[in-house]
Amino acid sequence: MSKTYLDSGVLNSVRKFEWFLCLDGIILAIIGIVLIYSAAIPMGGVGRSLVIKQAAWLSLGIVLLILFSFVDYRILERWGLWIYIFILVALISVSIFGRVTAGSRRWIDLGFMRFQPSEFAKLSVVIVLAKSLGDRRRGPLTDWTEIFRNLGLVIVPVIFVATQPDLGTAIVLFLVAISMMMFVGLTKRIWTTILGLTLVSFPLIYFGGKYLLLDYQKRRLMTFLNPDLDPLGAGYQIIQSQIAVGSGGLFGKGFLKGTQNQLMFLPAKHTDFIFAVLSEEWGFVGCMTILVLLMAFMLRGLAISGRARDDFGTMLSVGCISIIFWHVAINVAMVMGVVPVVGVPLSFVSYGGSSLLSSFLVTAILTSVSSRRFSR
Amino acid sequence: MAELRSNLVPQDYYKSRVVIFSSIVWIVMAILLIRLWSLQLIMGESFDDMAIENRIRLLRLSPPRGAILDRNGKALAENSPSFTLSIVPGTIKSGREIIETYSDVLGFSPEKMRSVIEKSLLAPRFMSFPIKKNISLEEVSLIKAHSHELKGVSLDAWPYRYYPCGDLLCHVIGVTGEISSPELEKVGRVGYRPGDYVGKTGIEREYETYLRGEEGWEQIEIDAKGRHLASLTRKPAKSGADIVLTIDASFQKFVEDKFTERAGSVIVVDPDTGRVLAMVSKPGYDPNLFSPSISELNWKSLNSDPLHPLENRSIRGLYPPASTFKLVTALAGLSEGVITPDRNIFCSGEMELGGQVYRCWKQHGHGRVNFHRAIVESCDVYFYELGLKLGADRMAKYASLFGLGKPTGLELSQELPGLIPTNFWKERNYGTFVKDGENVTIGIGQGYTLTTPIQLAMMTAALDNGGNVMRPYLVEEIRSRDGSAIFQQTPVVRWKMNPDPHNWSLIRKAMRDVVEDKSGTGRKCRIPGLSVYAKTGTSQVISAREKTKSDDDIPYHERSHAMFVAFVDNQPKKIAVVVVIEHGGGGGKTAAPLARKIICRYYGLPDPGDPRE
Repeated sequence: MSKTYLDSGVLNSVRKFEWFLCLDGIILAIIGIVLIYSAAIPMGGVGRSLVIKQAAWLSLGIVLLILFSFVDYRILERWGLWIYIFILVALISVSIFGRVTAGSRRWIDLGFMRFQPSEFAKLSVVIVLAKSLGDRRRGPLTDWTEIFRNLGLVIVPVIFVATQPDLGTAIVLFLVAISMMMFVGLTKRIWTTILGLTLVSFPLIYFGGKYLLLDYQKRRLMTFLNPDLDPLGAGYQIIQSQIAVGSGGLFGKGFLKGTQNQLMFLPAKHTDFIFAVLSEEWGFVGCMTILVLLMAFMLRGLAISGRARDDFGTMLSVGCISIIFWHVAINVAMVMGVVPVVGVPLSFVSYGGSSLLSSFLVTAILTSVSSRRFSR
Repeated sequence: MAELRSNLVPQDYYKSRVVIFSSIVWIVMAILLIRLWSLQLIMGESFDDMAIENRIRLLRLSPPRGAILDRNGKALAENSPSFTLSIVPGTIKSGREIIETYSDVLGFSPEKMRSVIEKSLLAPRFMSFPIKKNISLEEVSLIKAHSHELKGVSLDAWPYRYYPCGDLLCHVIGVTGEISSPELEKVGRVGYRPGDYVGKTGIEREYETYLRGEEGWEQIEIDAKGRHLASLTRKPAKSGADIVLTIDASFQKFVEDKFTERAGSVIVVDPDTGRVLAMVSKPGYDPNLFSPSISELNWKSLNSDPLHPLENRSIRGLYPPASTFKLVTALAGLSEGVITPDRNIFCSGEMELGGQVYRCWKQHGHGRVNFHRAIVESCDVYFYELGLKLGADRMAKYASLFGLGKPTGLELSQELPGLIPTNFWKERNYGTFVKDGENVTIGIGQGYTLTTPIQLAMMTAALDNGGNVMRPYLVEEIRSRDGSAIFQQTPVVRWKMNPDPHNWSLIRKAMRDVVEDKSGTGRKCRIPGLSVYAKTGTSQVISAREKTKSDDDIPYHERSHAMFVAFVDNQPKKIAVVVVIEHGGGGGKTAAPLARKIICRYYGLPDPGDPRE
């Protein structure tokens, strides 16, 4: 009895421990701290404390990673709904009691730390969706009620997050849910309907956006379409970030030598625009290194999802990977000026405790799924 | 189609999907890398040039704060450039050289200089870090003469608030200071940022919205080291509006100079309009101490000074009006029919009521006194009797008619209301009605009664102008920088008392004789050629005390406050004066001569001096 328990549990966890995934994440976070240091130097005394804080978060992240890796992920199947409800409550309370930073309410001040529930909302949505999609009979989603039931689970937190306002996280949440449903599959009929609806809805989105988006979001969109409209206002971020990336060249200007970074031309450079600092100071080679590390993480994660013990584990892993995927894709594209500035951090690398912790929780979940696979 | 979930382990069922998703990851990453390649390696050079030329920075231009001027346009508060020596830590070539060059001229020891430079290294590298603020012009020329421009050091001008007249009118003008975080959080403080200066007290505070002006911005070009090269476009800041006061600075200065006692207040108003001509509160302070920020030492000493120099006594000093209140009691007595002008009361020097003895200030009594003599000689026993007969409520009615016991509506919002006791008030606060003994003391303006000097000034003004209670005002005009008036003051009659003309003239006649009559208490304010009306007051600080002692034998804090109210109704120039001297002794003795000097100066007459006895 105890032998089987050990065999399928802790022992398996040790034997099948996902060294690759964990080390990949930790290396990314350490590179992140180096970049944050570089971004923080011109900020003076404030900057220094950012580096120390991020290092503290990383240590906490590693501890959590090790602890949660040994926890059976199936516990999430049981507790998923409660976590989801807890996060919803936290999202509601953040919009009531939250502290305002740069115009949005995103944080709850716990005294010893500031907790950003929207970062964890992504994970909780992945858990409930994984349960909902893992429990059904296999096969593509065939009817609309099923699609809307699953979409409903994500729409509620999306609305709360979007009104904080944190458009970036709301978009990621939505895309993660869509990705998970796509992974399950849709019938041809549904695919064609969605395609048709999308075409029809373009003008609707255009006019709807006029009334629904906040002024600063509209400004961002407009200046994304034409940054030169307002080179010192809202277009500033896009232009400065593009210059930083472009001027990096093959090998970059060198550690602490990026003028865009050091002369403080880059906006939010330790958080959402950390990739611009990387591009400027380490060039194409540096960027490629980070992107390869991130890609390796995602591919490894997808491989784990394919080998999971049950459907819940598969869906959970796919969801976790889509979180990372969309963060990376949107963030890097944003920094390069390919998509509008929506405020999405680069997983593992950007400054921010909640973001770093949620990246490490993703790693822990994947590790847990991996160590409980059937061995062949 | 749908298989049973137990038929296949996930790894087989989901294999194709994992492959598809993995390829999506590959494709997206490839697209990102291709885009990166084109940005960094194909277009890289042009971006490189842009990075080198990318030197445009947005600077915030703070608007010059409006000035506060006296009625003749003389500046009482203005802006003056102050110089700040700062270093840009990222551009320092040799710290040693900076220490050697500047420690002497700045008067810093090399050790202190070194620690300052070390501290600056913690600041943003390409932003200037101030080493020394408030460098005087002389020091600036010294620095320029004795040191060659060193890399990493810059001298910048910065406007700060300067009060050319020092402590003149300090309480009215007020001071500015760095905005505090609660002020920043307040709605309506929109557009303010940490480090901004706002009015903290006085006119500086009340007229903040006018004085502040509108912020502008400037695009500047900087070089690769962050140094300022050229200005590009700018939207100039709009400077704040000037506030023109009703006060003539030279007259104010005269009044302040003549006020030689330790503490007290003087208010001079134009009775017909309520225009404040002088407003003195002593002791004062030098508002320049607060600019740009007050040192801890100065703040401590100002705050712990037992005479409270920061307090504006003219609007916040609460004094028993003492015998000046007898004018109110007199009007109440006549109007309510409690007394007739001819009825005599015998003053033996004291009055007994309920076992308590109430003394007249004249130890041996006034003998038989009628209404007129009671005011002229300020007989306490007469007004004890009157107060007893009237009761607190009827006296309060007339006190309120004169505007006592409530703010006068002057532009300075920190004004205190004071207190006029009524039965309702007494019952609410003490649970009992006003007792007879208290009515007696209220009759002579003692007891609970508390008024501010500005209230007494408006009462005096009303006695002059026929019973119009005016709203006093300090601001004559608000003028934008181009000279056009934004706001022009018009006098406001708050209410008309509509007194019985006969009673009114009786009181005024008595007030006239306070100055003119040989036994009048205010004879020291007699000025030949001017019809001065007055009333003296001596408000006791310690209730029971030996009458025999002369003022000099009593400790300062136990001496009475000297009060004096007076007006002159010589047309066309009129004036009303209130003098309060804390612990100044008798009103007729110390306050009246000061009032006389002020009135003489106002009418351009030579001071006749104290009358010979």
